[in-house]
Amino acid sequence: MAPITSLTIPSMPSLGGITAPAASSTGSAFQSVLGDAISKVENFQNNADNSVNNFLSGEGEELHKVALATQQADLSFQLFMQVRNKVVTAYNQVMQMQV
Amino acid sequence: MSLFAALQVSASGMQAERTRAETLVENMANAETTRTPQGGPYKRKDVVFSSDLQESPFSAVFQNELATGVAVSDVTEDNSAPEMRYLPNHPDANSEGYVAFPKMNPAEDMADLLNTTRSYQANIAAMTAVKDMITHSIDLLR
Amino acid sequence: MLEAMTANLEKYMDLLSARQKLSASNIANADTPGYKTKDIDFQHEFMSMVNGEQPQTIDAQGLSEKPDGNNVNVDREARMLAENAMRFNVASTLLRGQINSVKEAITGGASS
Repeated sequence: MAPITSLTIPSMPSLGGITAPAASSTGSAFQSVLGDAISKVENFQNNADNSVNNFLSGEGEELHKVALATQQADLSFQLFMQVRNKVVTAYNQVMQMQV
Repeated sequence: MSLFAALQVSASGMQAERTRAETLVENMANAETTRTPQGGPYKRKDVVFSSDLQESPFSAVFQNELATGVAVSDVTEDNSAPEMRYLPNHPDANSEGYVAFPKMNPAEDMADLLNTTRSYQANIAAMTAVKDMITHSIDLLR
Repeated sequence: MLEAMTANLEKYMDLLSARQKLSASNIANADTPGYKTKDIDFQHEFMSMVNGEQPQTIDAQGLSEKPDGNNVNVDREARMLAENAMRFNVASTLLRGQINSVKEAITGGASS
Protein backbone atom coordinates (compact mmCIF):
# COMPACT_ATOMS: atom_id res chain seq x y z
CA MET A 1 0.00 0.00 0.00
CA ALA A 2 1.84 3.10 -1.16
CA PRO A 3 1.59 6.19 1.04
CA ILE A 4 0.04 9.20 -0.68
CA THR A 5 2.69 11.81 -1.14
CA SER A 6 0.60 14.84 -1.99
CA LEU A 7 -2.90 16.00 -1.39
CA THR A 8 -4.69 17.80 -4.19
CA ILE A 9 -8.18 18.90 -3.36
CA PRO A 10 -8.92 21.52 -5.99
CA SER A 11 -12.60 21.80 -5.14
CA MET A 12 -12.04 22.98 -1.60
CA PRO A 13 -11.18 26.65 -2.16
CA SER A 14 -14.10 27.18 -4.53
CA LEU A 15 -16.49 25.63 -2.03
CA GLY A 16 -15.34 27.98 0.64
CA GLY A 17 -15.59 30.91 -1.75
CA ILE A 18 -19.18 30.20 -2.76
CA THR A 19 -20.56 29.73 0.70
CA ALA A 20 -18.93 32.91 1.96
CA PRO A 21 -21.35 35.46 0.46
CA ALA A 22 -24.35 33.29 1.44
CA ALA A 23 -23.63 33.34 5.18
CA SER A 24 -20.27 34.84 5.96
CA SER A 25 -19.98 33.96 9.67
CA THR A 26 -20.95 30.31 9.27
CA GLY A 27 -18.93 30.20 6.02
CA SER A 28 -15.69 31.22 7.68
CA ALA A 29 -16.31 28.83 10.58
CA PHE A 30 -16.82 26.09 8.03
CA GLN A 31 -13.65 27.12 6.24
CA SER A 32 -11.62 26.98 9.43
CA VAL A 33 -13.02 23.56 10.28
CA LEU A 34 -12.05 22.40 6.81
CA GLY A 35 -8.63 23.98 7.14
CA ASP A 36 -8.13 22.17 10.43
CA ALA A 37 -9.16 18.88 8.92
CA ILE A 38 -6.83 19.32 5.96
CA SER A 39 -3.85 20.12 8.15
CA LYS A 40 -4.58 17.14 10.41
CA VAL A 41 -4.70 14.82 7.44
CA GLU A 42 -1.49 16.35 6.16
CA ASN A 43 0.12 15.77 9.56
CA PHE A 44 -0.75 12.10 9.45
CA GLN A 45 0.62 11.91 5.91
CA ASN A 46 3.88 13.57 6.94
CA ASN A 47 4.24 11.25 9.92
CA ALA A 48 3.74 8.28 7.67
CA ASP A 49 6.26 9.60 5.14
CA ASN A 50 8.86 10.20 7.84
CA SER A 51 8.28 6.79 9.31
CA VAL A 52 8.68 5.07 5.98
CA ASN A 53 11.81 7.06 5.16
CA ASN A 54 13.36 6.22 8.50
CA PHE A 55 12.64 2.58 7.96
CA LEU A 56 14.02 2.54 4.41
CA SER A 57 17.22 4.36 5.30
CA GLY A 58 17.97 1.82 7.98
CA GLU A 59 17.74 4.24 10.88
CA GLY A 60 16.07 1.60 12.94
CA GLU A 61 12.38 2.48 12.81
CA GLU A 62 10.23 -0.33 14.15
CA LEU A 63 8.18 -2.07 11.51
CA HIS A 64 4.94 -1.95 13.47
CA LYS A 65 5.35 1.80 13.92
CA VAL A 66 5.63 2.20 10.16
CA ALA A 67 2.56 0.01 9.65
CA LEU A 68 0.55 2.00 12.19
CA ALA A 69 1.61 5.37 10.84
CA THR A 70 0.65 4.45 7.28
CA GLN A 71 -2.66 2.95 8.41
CA GLN A 72 -3.49 6.09 10.37
CA ALA A 73 -2.68 8.27 7.38
CA ASP A 74 -4.78 6.06 5.16
CA LEU A 75 -7.75 6.08 7.55
CA SER A 76 -7.68 9.81 8.14
CA PHE A 77 -7.51 10.42 4.42
CA GLN A 78 -10.40 8.05 3.75
CA LEU A 79 -12.45 9.76 6.44
CA PHE A 80 -11.65 13.11 4.96
CA MET A 81 -12.65 11.96 1.46
CA GLN A 82 -15.94 10.59 2.75
CA VAL A 83 -16.73 13.87 4.49
CA ARG A 84 -15.80 15.77 1.36
CA ASN A 85 -18.07 13.56 -0.74
CA LYS A 86 -20.96 14.16 1.63
CA VAL A 87 -20.38 17.89 1.58
CA VAL A 88 -20.21 18.00 -2.20
CA THR A 89 -23.37 15.88 -2.48
CA ALA A 90 -25.19 18.13 -0.04
CA TYR A 91 -24.04 21.19 -1.93
CA ASN A 92 -25.23 19.70 -5.22
CA GLN A 93 -28.60 18.90 -3.69
CA VAL A 94 -28.94 22.45 -2.43
CA MET A 95 -28.01 23.85 -5.83
CA GLN A 96 -30.56 21.65 -7.54
CA MET A 97 -33.40 22.78 -5.33
CA GLN A 98 -36.11 24.62 -7.16
CA VAL A 99 -36.39 28.11 -5.78
CA MET B 1 15.68 0.36 17.31
CA SER B 2 14.43 -2.21 14.91
CA LEU B 3 13.60 -5.86 15.39
CA PHE B 4 15.93 -6.58 12.51
CA ALA B 5 18.77 -5.80 14.89
CA ALA B 6 17.76 -8.85 16.90
CA LEU B 7 18.27 -10.99 13.80
CA GLN B 8 21.78 -9.60 13.52
CA VAL B 9 22.44 -10.43 17.16
CA SER B 10 21.27 -14.01 16.78
CA ALA B 11 23.37 -14.36 13.65
CA SER B 12 26.43 -13.21 15.57
CA GLY B 13 25.65 -15.79 18.25
CA MET B 14 25.42 -18.54 15.66
CA GLN B 15 28.67 -17.43 14.06
CA ALA B 16 30.51 -17.42 17.37
CA GLU B 17 29.19 -20.84 18.36
CA ARG B 18 30.10 -22.20 14.94
CA THR B 19 33.66 -20.91 15.35
CA ARG B 20 33.84 -22.53 18.78
CA ALA B 21 32.57 -25.84 17.37
CA GLU B 22 35.16 -25.70 14.60
CA THR B 23 37.92 -25.10 17.13
CA LEU B 24 36.77 -27.96 19.34
CA VAL B 25 36.55 -30.30 16.38
CA GLU B 26 40.03 -29.25 15.31
CA ASN B 27 41.28 -30.04 18.80
CA MET B 28 39.71 -33.47 18.80
CA ALA B 29 40.96 -34.30 15.31
CA ASN B 30 44.51 -33.34 16.26
CA ALA B 31 44.59 -35.18 19.57
CA GLU B 32 47.51 -37.30 18.45
CA THR B 33 49.33 -34.85 16.18
CA THR B 34 52.99 -34.80 17.12
CA ARG B 35 54.27 -32.88 14.13
CA THR B 36 53.10 -29.39 13.08
CA PRO B 37 54.52 -26.86 10.56
CA GLN B 38 55.63 -24.75 13.51
CA GLY B 39 57.48 -27.71 14.98
CA GLY B 40 56.44 -29.61 18.06
CA PRO B 41 53.10 -31.17 18.88
CA TYR B 42 49.70 -29.64 18.20
CA LYS B 43 48.68 -26.99 20.72
CA ARG B 44 45.11 -27.13 21.95
CA LYS B 45 43.09 -24.03 20.95
CA ASP B 46 40.45 -22.18 22.90
CA VAL B 47 38.08 -19.42 21.83
CA VAL B 48 37.31 -16.34 23.89
CA PHE B 49 33.89 -14.74 23.52
CA SER B 50 33.19 -11.10 24.14
CA SER B 51 30.06 -9.06 23.66
CA ASP B 52 29.98 -6.16 21.25
CA LEU B 53 27.52 -3.85 19.53
CA GLN B 54 26.21 -5.05 16.23
CA GLU B 55 26.51 -3.34 12.89
CA SER B 56 23.70 -3.99 10.49
CA PRO B 57 24.38 -4.32 6.76
CA PHE B 58 21.36 -2.08 6.13
CA SER B 59 22.36 0.83 8.28
CA ALA B 60 25.52 2.78 8.62
CA VAL B 61 25.42 3.08 12.38
CA PHE B 62 25.90 0.62 15.19
CA GLN B 63 22.74 -0.58 16.79
CA ASN B 64 22.07 0.67 20.28
CA GLU B 65 22.68 -1.15 23.51
CA LEU B 66 19.51 -3.16 23.21
CA ALA B 67 21.23 -5.29 20.58
CA THR B 68 24.40 -6.72 22.05
CA GLY B 69 25.88 -9.42 19.95
CA VAL B 70 28.83 -11.65 20.60
CA ALA B 71 32.08 -12.09 18.75
CA VAL B 72 35.09 -14.31 19.06
CA SER B 73 37.69 -11.87 20.28
CA ASP B 74 40.59 -14.24 20.60
CA VAL B 75 41.75 -17.74 19.82
CA THR B 76 44.24 -18.73 22.49
CA GLU B 77 46.65 -21.58 22.28
CA ASP B 78 47.39 -23.81 25.19
CA ASN B 79 51.05 -23.29 25.90
CA SER B 80 51.37 -25.64 28.83
CA ALA B 81 53.94 -28.41 28.71
CA PRO B 82 53.06 -31.20 26.28
CA GLU B 83 52.40 -34.71 27.40
CA MET B 84 55.48 -36.87 27.03
CA ARG B 85 55.13 -40.55 26.23
CA TYR B 86 57.87 -43.07 26.06
CA LEU B 87 58.03 -44.39 22.46
CA PRO B 88 61.69 -44.83 21.51
CA ASN B 89 60.94 -46.13 18.01
CA HIS B 90 58.69 -43.22 17.05
CA PRO B 91 60.17 -41.03 14.27
CA ASP B 92 59.52 -37.91 16.42
CA ALA B 93 61.17 -39.30 19.55
CA ASN B 94 63.69 -37.01 21.16
CA SER B 95 67.09 -38.08 22.42
CA GLU B 96 65.64 -39.81 25.49
CA GLY B 97 63.02 -41.68 23.49
CA TYR B 98 60.08 -39.50 24.59
CA VAL B 99 57.56 -38.17 22.10
CA ALA B 100 55.70 -34.91 22.82
CA PHE B 101 51.93 -35.38 22.41
CA PRO B 102 49.34 -32.60 22.60
CA LYS B 103 47.91 -32.00 26.03
CA MET B 104 44.28 -32.87 25.45
CA ASN B 105 41.16 -33.03 27.53
CA PRO B 106 38.70 -34.94 25.36
CA ALA B 107 35.96 -35.20 27.96
CA GLU B 108 35.94 -31.45 28.42
CA ASP B 109 35.98 -30.89 24.67
CA MET B 110 33.00 -33.23 24.16
CA ALA B 111 31.05 -31.48 26.92
CA ASP B 112 31.89 -28.11 25.36
CA LEU B 113 30.75 -29.36 21.98
CA LEU B 114 27.38 -30.41 23.39
CA ASN B 115 27.04 -27.03 25.05
CA THR B 116 27.90 -25.30 21.81
CA THR B 117 25.25 -27.28 19.97
CA ARG B 118 22.64 -26.31 22.52
CA SER B 119 23.59 -22.64 22.33
CA TYR B 120 23.50 -22.75 18.54
CA GLN B 121 19.98 -24.17 18.65
CA ALA B 122 18.91 -21.56 21.18
CA ASN B 123 20.11 -18.84 18.81
CA ILE B 124 18.14 -20.41 15.98
CA ALA B 125 15.04 -20.45 18.19
CA ALA B 126 15.55 -16.75 18.95
CA MET B 127 15.85 -15.96 15.26
CA THR B 128 12.65 -17.87 14.49
CA ALA B 129 10.72 -16.09 17.23
CA VAL B 130 11.89 -12.69 16.02
CA LYS B 131 11.06 -13.54 12.42
CA ASP B 132 7.54 -14.41 13.57
CA MET B 133 7.13 -11.05 15.24
CA ILE B 134 8.33 -9.23 12.15
CA THR B 135 5.84 -11.18 10.04
CA HIS B 136 3.02 -10.16 12.37
CA SER B 137 4.10 -6.56 12.10
CA ILE B 138 3.90 -6.82 8.33
CA ASP B 139 0.39 -8.23 8.70
CA LEU B 140 -0.65 -4.92 10.23
CA LEU B 141 -0.18 -3.39 6.83
CA ARG B 142 -2.80 -5.56 5.20
CA MET C 1 -8.93 10.21 17.78
CA LEU C 2 -6.95 7.81 15.69
CA GLU C 3 -3.80 8.35 17.74
CA ALA C 4 -5.36 7.88 21.16
CA MET C 5 -6.93 4.65 20.02
CA THR C 6 -3.67 3.02 19.04
CA ALA C 7 -1.21 4.74 21.38
CA ASN C 8 -1.30 2.17 24.20
CA LEU C 9 -1.06 -0.84 21.95
CA GLU C 10 1.78 0.78 20.04
CA LYS C 11 3.68 1.41 23.29
CA TYR C 12 3.09 -2.18 24.34
CA MET C 13 4.47 -3.47 21.06
CA ASP C 14 7.50 -1.18 21.35
CA LEU C 15 8.30 -2.58 24.78
CA LEU C 16 7.82 -6.14 23.61
CA SER C 17 10.19 -5.55 20.69
CA ALA C 18 12.80 -4.11 23.02
CA ARG C 19 12.43 -7.07 25.36
CA GLN C 20 12.76 -9.52 22.48
CA LYS C 21 15.93 -7.83 21.31
CA LEU C 22 17.39 -8.12 24.80
CA SER C 23 16.43 -11.77 24.91
CA ALA C 24 18.19 -12.41 21.61
CA SER C 25 21.26 -10.59 22.94
CA ASN C 26 21.18 -12.66 26.13
CA ILE C 27 21.01 -15.89 24.18
CA ALA C 28 23.82 -14.88 21.84
CA ASN C 29 25.96 -14.05 24.88
CA ALA C 30 25.09 -17.22 26.80
CA ASP C 31 28.76 -18.22 26.83
CA THR C 32 30.41 -14.83 27.14
CA PRO C 33 32.38 -14.57 30.37
CA GLY C 34 31.19 -11.81 32.68
CA TYR C 35 28.02 -11.03 30.73
CA LYS C 36 24.98 -10.17 32.87
CA THR C 37 21.45 -10.89 31.71
CA LYS C 38 19.66 -7.72 30.57
CA ASP C 39 15.95 -6.93 30.85
CA ILE C 40 13.58 -3.96 31.13
CA ASP C 41 11.25 -3.02 33.97
CA PHE C 42 8.08 -3.63 31.97
CA GLN C 43 5.42 -2.15 34.26
CA HIS C 44 7.40 0.94 35.01
CA GLU C 45 8.28 1.57 31.39
CA PHE C 46 4.73 0.98 30.18
CA MET C 47 3.36 3.56 32.61
CA SER C 48 5.99 6.17 31.99
CA MET C 49 7.43 5.73 28.52
CA VAL C 50 7.06 8.63 26.13
CA ASN C 51 6.38 7.46 22.62
CA GLY C 52 9.54 7.18 20.55
CA GLU C 53 11.94 6.96 23.48
CA GLN C 54 13.99 3.92 24.25
CA PRO C 55 13.31 1.93 27.41
CA GLN C 56 16.07 1.63 29.95
CA THR C 57 17.79 -1.70 30.38
CA ILE C 58 18.30 -3.13 33.83
CA ASP C 59 20.13 -6.17 35.09
CA ALA C 60 17.82 -9.10 35.65
CA GLN C 61 17.52 -10.19 39.25
CA GLY C 62 17.50 -13.59 40.85
CA LEU C 63 19.86 -15.37 38.50
CA SER C 64 22.70 -17.59 39.63
CA GLU C 65 26.20 -16.90 38.35
CA LYS C 66 28.53 -19.33 36.67
CA PRO C 67 32.21 -19.38 37.66
CA ASP C 68 33.18 -17.16 34.71
CA GLY C 69 30.76 -14.40 35.76
CA ASN C 70 28.11 -15.17 33.14
CA ASN C 71 24.56 -15.43 34.53
CA VAL C 72 22.49 -16.17 31.43
CA ASN C 73 19.83 -18.82 31.95
CA VAL C 74 18.96 -20.21 28.51
CA ASP C 75 15.67 -21.68 29.75
CA ARG C 76 14.54 -18.32 31.05
CA GLU C 77 15.45 -16.71 27.75
CA ALA C 78 13.59 -19.39 25.80
CA ARG C 79 10.50 -18.67 27.89
CA MET C 80 10.86 -14.93 27.32
CA LEU C 81 11.14 -15.49 23.57
CA ALA C 82 7.94 -17.51 23.46
CA GLU C 83 5.98 -15.17 25.73
CA ASN C 84 7.11 -11.99 23.97
CA ALA C 85 6.23 -13.44 20.59
CA MET C 86 2.76 -14.49 21.72
CA ARG C 87 2.00 -11.18 23.40
CA PHE C 88 3.18 -9.34 20.30
CA ASN C 89 0.84 -11.53 18.28
CA VAL C 90 -2.06 -10.61 20.57
CA ALA C 91 -1.28 -6.91 20.37
CA SER C 92 -0.98 -6.87 16.59
CA THR C 93 -4.24 -8.80 16.21
CA LEU C 94 -6.05 -6.36 18.51
CA LEU C 95 -4.57 -3.46 16.60
CA ARG C 96 -5.64 -4.87 13.29
CA GLY C 97 -9.12 -5.32 14.68
CA GLN C 98 -9.28 -1.69 15.73
CA ILE C 99 -8.04 -0.48 12.37
CA ASN C 100 -10.63 -2.62 10.59
CA SER C 101 -13.40 -1.30 12.83
CA VAL C 102 -12.53 2.28 12.01
CA LYS C 103 -12.32 1.42 8.35
CA GLU C 104 -15.76 -0.17 8.53
CA ALA C 105 -17.13 2.89 10.26
CA ILE C 106 -15.72 5.18 7.60
CA THR C 107 -16.72 3.23 4.55
CA GLY C 108 -19.81 1.50 5.95
CA GLY C 109 -22.12 4.44 5.37
CA ALA C 110 -20.57 5.37 2.02
CA SER C 111 -23.49 4.25 -0.10
CA SER C 112 -24.89 7.75 -0.49
